[in-house]
Order: sequence, then structure tokens, then C-alpha cells
Amino acid sequence: MLEISGLKVFHGPIEAVHGIDISVPEGSCVALLGPNGAGKTSTLSAITGTARATGTIRLEGRDLAGLDIEDRFRAGISIAPEGRRIFANLTVFENLRMGAATRTDGGIERDIEEWLSRFPILGERRSQSAGTLSGGEQQMLTIARALLSKPRILLLDEPSLGLAPKIIGQVFALIEDLRHEGMTILLVEQNAGAAIEVADYVYVLANGLVTRHGPSGEFGDGSGLMGELTGVHD
Amino acid sequence: MTRRLLNPDQKRGLIGSAMLAVLILVIVGAYALWGESYQARILYATFVNLIVVVGLQVFMGNGNYATFSHAAFMGIAAYAAAICVTPAAVKALSLPDAPWGLNAFEMHPLSAALVALVITGVIGALTGLFMSRLTNVSITIVSIAILVIVHSIFLHRTDIFKGNQALFGIPRVFGLGHITALVILAIVAARLFRESRLGLRLRAVADDEVGARAMGVNVVRARMIAWVVSTLFFATAGIAYAFYLGTISARPFYFNYVFLTVAMLILGGLRSVTGAVFGTLLISLGLEIIRWLETGPTLGGVKLPEMLGLSGLLLGIVIVGVMAFRPHGLMGNREIEDIVFRRKKTTEVSK
Repeated sequence: MLEISGLKVFHGPIEAVHGIDISVPEGSCVALLGPNGAGKTSTLSAITGTARATGTIRLEGRDLAGLDIEDRFRAGISIAPEGRRIFANLTVFENLRMGAATRTDGGIERDIEEWLSRFPILGERRSQSAGTLSGGEQQMLTIARALLSKPRILLLDEPSLGLAPKIIGQVFALIEDLRHEGMTILLVEQNAGAAIEVADYVYVLANGLVTRHGPSGEFGDGSGLMGELTGVHD
Repeated sequence: MTRRLLNPDQKRGLIGSAMLAVLILVIVGAYALWGESYQARILYATFVNLIVVVGLQVFMGNGNYATFSHAAFMGIAAYAAAICVTPAAVKALSLPDAPWGLNAFEMHPLSAALVALVITGVIGALTGLFMSRLTNVSITIVSIAILVIVHSIFLHRTDIFKGNQALFGIPRVFGLGHITALVILAIVAARLFRESRLGLRLRAVADDEVGARAMGVNVVRARMIAWVVSTLFFATAGIAYAFYLGTISARPFYFNYVFLTVAMLILGGLRSVTGAVFGTLLISLGLEIIRWLETGPTLGGVKLPEMLGLSGLLLGIVIVGVMAFRPHGLMGNREIEDIVFRRKKTTEVSK
């Protein structure tokens, strides 16, 4: 589905990612783990087209080089960005409409209603400015919004960041559901334990390089990995 | 696949526009019943301003930009319509030196209005080519440049525009009925635009441009269309202005008018069409009261002194006061139906 090879990502003159290979097969959930500054978000930015990058990124065999951010979205790449970047002054309903902004079929309203009933709390607040939602509600909204474009692949950038443990549980339950529904997911996380639990395959990134990768089963519950990533050992 | 004519938000917008239309009709009705004839002119001017402010909401409000060129587009349309509609015999006197045979023809008012709309729309599209590619501060600066350039052309091409002298003899074909219909049409159009896919995209861009692009929004295209649409509102106002007064000059199409209308939008709230309407009506009413106070009336037996210049002070106080205490205006993100139906609060959020 998504094949990345020899990817280098640049922020101005600084090379943040130094040539990595990542593969996300169709219908799988792949986790990209690593500490702050490892290059995880840079990798996602290269995929969505917001950061300058070299190497090749192919979506279903199609080379994305030369496509700008809007075209990549149209090609089927949708991201729920870090920090829950919702449109704060638009209502919940309007945020969801934005997710389907490029769709021209007649099923948009039906799909929005489906999401609003899937998350009743969003349904209750459909006419409320999204900026007034709690962190967890905003995270649900960004994921629902990203899915309303009917993407080929969903990129999730640190969906657990800054959320209470109970809410994190709900977010990962949603990711688990999506995986069972056959959605292809590339998940970037610092919360290694939760990510390993939902992922099929794991890449560990440090200092812009892939240091380890393998099926999620090889990583246990992620506790050892957490120590490895953060430098903190029990 | 078929798409429905109106989305649910636009249908809601139609309900809101209908409420605003009733408000407009109540005002006109009140004038018809109790008004004095001199007030027709005030009401007409208020409605012209209303079309301009609602047009400002389309680009400036939805996109959250500050633009100051609207008086220029209004002037372009007013002059274009005036030159087209004025009888050749009158133009032989008023524009004896006009080039390109401008004083040798005359048109039906409807054709003149169409020509004015097309000319303004084309100039809107040409300026839109670069306006749509600029970012916030540059948009403001370039809009001021457009205003100044157009104004100096009006002033210095006296053979066509007569500068600060009056261009007279324009047939007075519009009355209160015409402007009332146009105001209601403008309100409906602005609401439908605000709730349309394009209006939504523009409002999303105002919140988070990169985020909106990541949802597939072509920001340049969205800005371009909104810009041209808003110039058509200004053109409509300019045509209505010329068709009512019968005489126009360059002076009104400049900074004073720009600030008046911007203050109206700021008071009501940039993001809301209802805000544009309320802001215009409130400031128009406020200015009338102040004009009366300026003359030094006798209140409860006390003779007040003459206080000229009070109206300028009011506009300044409104802009500063609203910016300081209610930066999102009276309405914020709300429209009239949100208040009438007491929908969940849609609190506005600063970036």
C-alpha cells in the first residue's frame, strides 16, 4: 500500500530523517515509535507533502514525488495531525464537512451522521464550536474528520498526546476498531505500550534512523522499549 | 452521483436570511407608516451600506482578512453605470471631453447595470489574481494600494470622472423598493455563500491554512472566488448609489467610507452575516442620533452646545471599544437563527 524507501526529510538546511525504509501493507496497522525528535512527525510531514524530502514514497505503486499537499490528500492520504488541529471556530458538524471537502458523492451527510452517532458526545455538540470541546473529544473529531475523506491510508500523529489515561483507552479502542474494519493505518506514537497492542508491525525510530523493526509480537508489552527510547530504566 | 441543491447548513441559512428579511421589511414598513420624506434618503443610504458590509463579510469576514478597497470597487461600478445610463445629450454637457465616445451613447438602466457589474467583476478578477496569492498583511496593504490608485484615477482623469466635481444628470431610476429587494437578495446570497462548500473552506483556512490544505482545500482558488464575489456586492451597491442620487463624485469612494463600513462589520462581528446586518443598522442609527446631537438640540429644557465632529469620534470609539471588549463583535460566530432557536452556544475561539 504505502512504500517508503531511502527517505530523507529536511527542515531548512537540517536533515531530520537520514534515509529510512518503511512499508505499510494494505489493511494493516503499522506503528512508528520513538522519542521526541526522532523524526516521526517529520516522516509523516514528508508523506503528506508539508516537508521537503528526498527518496521515494509510493502509494499503491504511484510515486508521490511532485504532488503537493492537496493532491496527496486527493490521492488518499489523510492525517489526523498532532495537537488535534481542529478548526476551532467551525462547529463540530462543519469540521466533519471539511473532512469530506473533496468528496462529490451524495453520501457525505449520511457518513457524518454515522460518525456523530458513533461518538454520541460529538453528536450532542454538533452545533458547538469545535474549540470548546475537551481534548479527548477534539481527538475523536480529528480522527472522524480524517476518515470522512474515505482515505486509502490514515496517518495518526500522536493521538494520545496530552490526554487522560481513560481517554487514551478510548482513542486506542477506536484505532483497534478501525483496524478490524480493514483501514490501513500508520500510527506515530510515544506511548509504546498502547501502540504495540494495536499495531501489526512496529518500526522504532531514533535520531532520524530506524533502529529496530519487526512484528509487534517481538516487542512484548513495550516496557523494555520505553526504557530504551527514553533512557529511563526500572 | 447527484448533489442536492442546498446542504443542511444552507437550508438553515435560508431560514436565518428570512428572519433578517423580515427585519428589513419591518423597518421599511415603519418608514412607510410613520416616516418623514427626508428619512427615505437616510434609509436608502443605510441599505446601500448594508449591501457593502454584507459583501465585506463574504471575503473579509469568512477569510478573516482586513481589506480596504471596497470603496474603490463601489466607485468603479457607480461611474461605469452612471456613464452608461446618462443620456448622450446630458453627457455632452457634463463630459464634453470624454474619450472613446463615452459621451456619445446611452443605455437602458438594466444594460448599464450589467455593464457595470461585468467591468467591476473583471477588475475584481484581475486584482484577485494577486490578492488570492498573498497572505494576511500583504492583502491589507495591497487593498489600500488599490483604493489609493483607483481614487487618484477618479481624481485626475477629469475628462471621464470629473474628479471632485459632480457627475450629474444620471437618471434616478431606483427607489426604496429597489434597494429593499437588493438588500434582501444580498443577505440571502451572503448566507448561502457562507454556508457553501467554498465559504466553509474559506472559514477553515482562516482558522488553520495548512490544516485546510491538508484536507485538500485549494486556498488560492477559494480566496479568488470569494474576492470576486465580494466585489460584485460592492458593484451592486455602487450602481444602486448612482441610480438613486443622480449625481456622483469621487470624494465618497475613499477612506472615510471605508472606515465607516469596516466599523459596521467589526461591531456586528466579522464572521457572521447577521453581525454585518446588525452592525450596519446600529451604527447607522447611532450616527443619526449623533448628527442630531451635533446640531446642539434642546434636551429637557437644556440647550446642548454644538458638537461638530462627534460622528468621527463615535466610529473611533466603536472600533476601539469592540476590539478591546468584544473582539469577535456582537455576534461572534452566531447567526440570527442560533439566537432565536437558542441553539447550543457557539463560543468563538481566538487563535
